[in-house]
Amino acid sequence: MQRIFLVIVLIGVLQANAQDNIKYNPAGMLSLGGRTTVSLFNDHENEMTGTGVGGQFRLRFSDAVNTDWFFDYIASDILNYAHRTDYHIGWSVLFYPINNLDYFRQKEGFKPKFRPYILAGHCFDYSKIEAKESPLDGPMSAERWSSAVQAGLGTHLELTPRFDISLTGQYMIHLGNHIETDYDFTSGSLSFHEHKGASLAGHVLVTLSLNYKIAKLWGFTRR
Amino acid sequence: MGIHQKIIGLFLLASPLVYSQEKPCYFQPSLLRTSATIAPTRFYRQETTIALINGFVEYVLENRISVRGEGNIMAPNGKLVYTNSPEKFPRNFTSIYAGFGYHLGKGNWKFNLHTEPGIAISEMAQQPFLIVPVAYQWSVSPSYMLKGGTSFYFSKYCHFFAEINYSNGWIRKTPLTSVSIAQYGISAGLGFHVLTKKK
Repeated sequence: MQRIFLVIVLIGVLQANAQDNIKYNPAGMLSLGGRTTVSLFNDHENEMTGTGVGGQFRLRFSDAVNTDWFFDYIASDILNYAHRTDYHIGWSVLFYPINNLDYFRQKEGFKPKFRPYILAGHCFDYSKIEAKESPLDGPMSAERWSSAVQAGLGTHLELTPRFDISLTGQYMIHLGNHIETDYDFTSGSLSFHEHKGASLAGHVLVTLSLNYKIAKLWGFTRR
Repeated sequence: MGIHQKIIGLFLLASPLVYSQEKPCYFQPSLLRTSATIAPTRFYRQETTIALINGFVEYVLENRISVRGEGNIMAPNGKLVYTNSPEKFPRNFTSIYAGFGYHLGKGNWKFNLHTEPGIAISEMAQQPFLIVPVAYQWSVSPSYMLKGGTSFYFSKYCHFFAEINYSNGWIRKTPLTSVSIAQYGISAGLGFHVLTKKK
């Protein structure tokens, strides 16, 4: 009888210790969000700052690794003779390099905090450049499909356990065909040229996104 | 017991009852609110003021966080209140936004901030610099809206709200220089709400 009692006590103690070791793991957390993007320092000649809108969902794979799956629609001017529209659909991996600091451990209650990350990813994009329409010349445009890679830095501002605002700065390099515009300022004539093969034309994208955690797709794990 | 003592006794008895009937807090998670109103808007770069019909739907996710969608439509056959010359402003304008709100304050009086990415759908009225008449043209432009305001929830189903907003965007599909649709506006009125989940 005493042995049985001892075994029960031991099991109880072990279970209590095990529960102490179970920590919340954010893996499997799914967020939905909207985003606004500014496109700066475009490599296209005479292209000016563009603005865009889009959406994303975010799926976290571990405590230190998250992923963004996004769509962006960005429009910009090429001086006053053409305008360019870009559609980006892609994904980025977010790595939290200082996630082990005590600052990120939730102790008593929730406090808003910044969570910086390094980001890298890939996207497909469709670009269309259209001449500013003239009633005399009619519409004129050129388009291309290409692939791109992007990398940068960012930070979440976690305002509540489920809601965050994220600011990201990244450089995106387009790898496919590219379109050049030739504009003669004297005659006002515009022509498009498509160049095949890789080029390192790109742009800086600054993105502000608002995200809300809507589901946890897989469960709690022990560390 | 004198009449004065009885009155004081009744008063003392009634005071806590009145106090306990303080209004409950209507603003809480699962609150769904909506409204529609006329919202004057100033396109300050075009020196143009118009009347928009603004409607929104908002759902409170947490004590401080809500998700919100809203739309603005230029009032049908609406006259431009004041415009520049030559007229550069679109003859039709619709915008759609979706985003999140952050709510501050205790009880039924809240201050709120909203950030909402969206799109603006515009139809240009005319080409300002050419004498040759050109066809009207629709275009869709990326846009965003920042909004700040206050709401007072005075009953189980109704509240008052007043908001100011700023939004920005560019109509690129124009014959010449792109047209800015940066604007600031106000909206206020009576809103309706309901708690979708019971505690």
